[in-house]
Amino acid sequence: MSLERKDEHDHRGWMQERDLSPIEQGYLMALIWLDKRFRIVDYLELLETMYYRVNLQMPKSHTEQYNLDNKFWYWYPLYSLGAFSTIAYIVAALTGAILGFYYAPSTADGMEETIAYDDVVFIMQDLNFGYFLRSLHRWSAQIMTAAVFLHMLRVYFTGAYKEPREVNWLLGIVLISLTMVFGYTGYLLPWSQLSYWAGQIGVEMALSIPFVGEWVAQLVFGGFSLDASTLQRMYILHVFILPFVVTALIALHIGIVWMQGIAEPH
Amino acid sequence: MSESPPERTDEERGVVVPMRVYKTVTVFSTLFAVFGVVGGFILIDVATNRATADLADVNPIVALLGVGLIVLSAAVYAFSTRFQAAEMGNANNNENEESNNG
Repeated sequence: MSLERKDEHDHRGWMQERDLSPIEQGYLMALIWLDKRFRIVDYLELLETMYYRVNLQMPKSHTEQYNLDNKFWYWYPLYSLGAFSTIAYIVAALTGAILGFYYAPSTADGMEETIAYDDVVFIMQDLNFGYFLRSLHRWSAQIMTAAVFLHMLRVYFTGAYKEPREVNWLLGIVLISLTMVFGYTGYLLPWSQLSYWAGQIGVEMALSIPFVGEWVAQLVFGGFSLDASTLQRMYILHVFILPFVVTALIALHIGIVWMQGIAEPH
Repeated sequence: MSESPPERTDEERGVVVPMRVYKTVTVFSTLFAVFGVVGGFILIDVATNRATADLADVNPIVALLGVGLIVLSAAVYAFSTRFQAAEMGNANNNENEESNNG
């Protein structure tokens, strides 16, 4: 592993033995000329060596030990879904923090519609990179929901929820539920027609819960019909309560995976 | 190199080169292709003002230059696939890779 110059290859020698067309020969000579000056390949080989040296330090996994890679390789991409949802969550957090600079959860009359709705229109139409920013936030939210669901399927079908990982499976169920609450509360924030009537459905679903329905509707939606306090509560849930709770639970979830190790397919 | 290396088979146009040269070809042709295609699209964007210009305002030279750069990069990349390291076989011809049930 050094950057010392390797022995020069006798390029003219071996090229004479092939019957190369002038274009092929010229192309190869040009690339070799470039290679001697920009030593990208040397640096890539260094990285390759480092990669294998680091890998040699790792304990053999179950699949390596019993040579099962040919049976299980098609599962491996699915093992990235947990990290994928975490990345989507981070992107949503960062873009959401910036979106928060331009949004107020107010149902009071704005210039055109309510202030909340006007703010979203402002972000989409007038703010530099606003459309991009909100799209990033929305897409990362969608991707997180999808990835979290597929992550759950992967864990189920590889049996990764089994002993001793039951607690993390339950924690994952809590997290997928909170992810959907995250999505729902965010869906209501633009206070558009879609938001409003989704909110109406939410209130009625809350009210349909036996015994405690009215209490839940009061607590979550601030009443039995949608008004300023509904939007206020959705906002606080979305930008204050859920971020702390979900971030802490994700940290715990990943921490437990770290301690227990990744469950490999058997 | 005492023994004579495998010559090219005519229909495949494959050329066997030393491993180090194969790496060179792979790395640099990929770089050419990536920068050429991206650069070509940038040129087309410049020529057409990001596809918003009227037909009369399009700069034909720059636009054709962009298209040409994309085509050239693709051609260079395709041309580079003929160079192989020893014992690689031809990527376009998988007779040496038999299928099995995983």
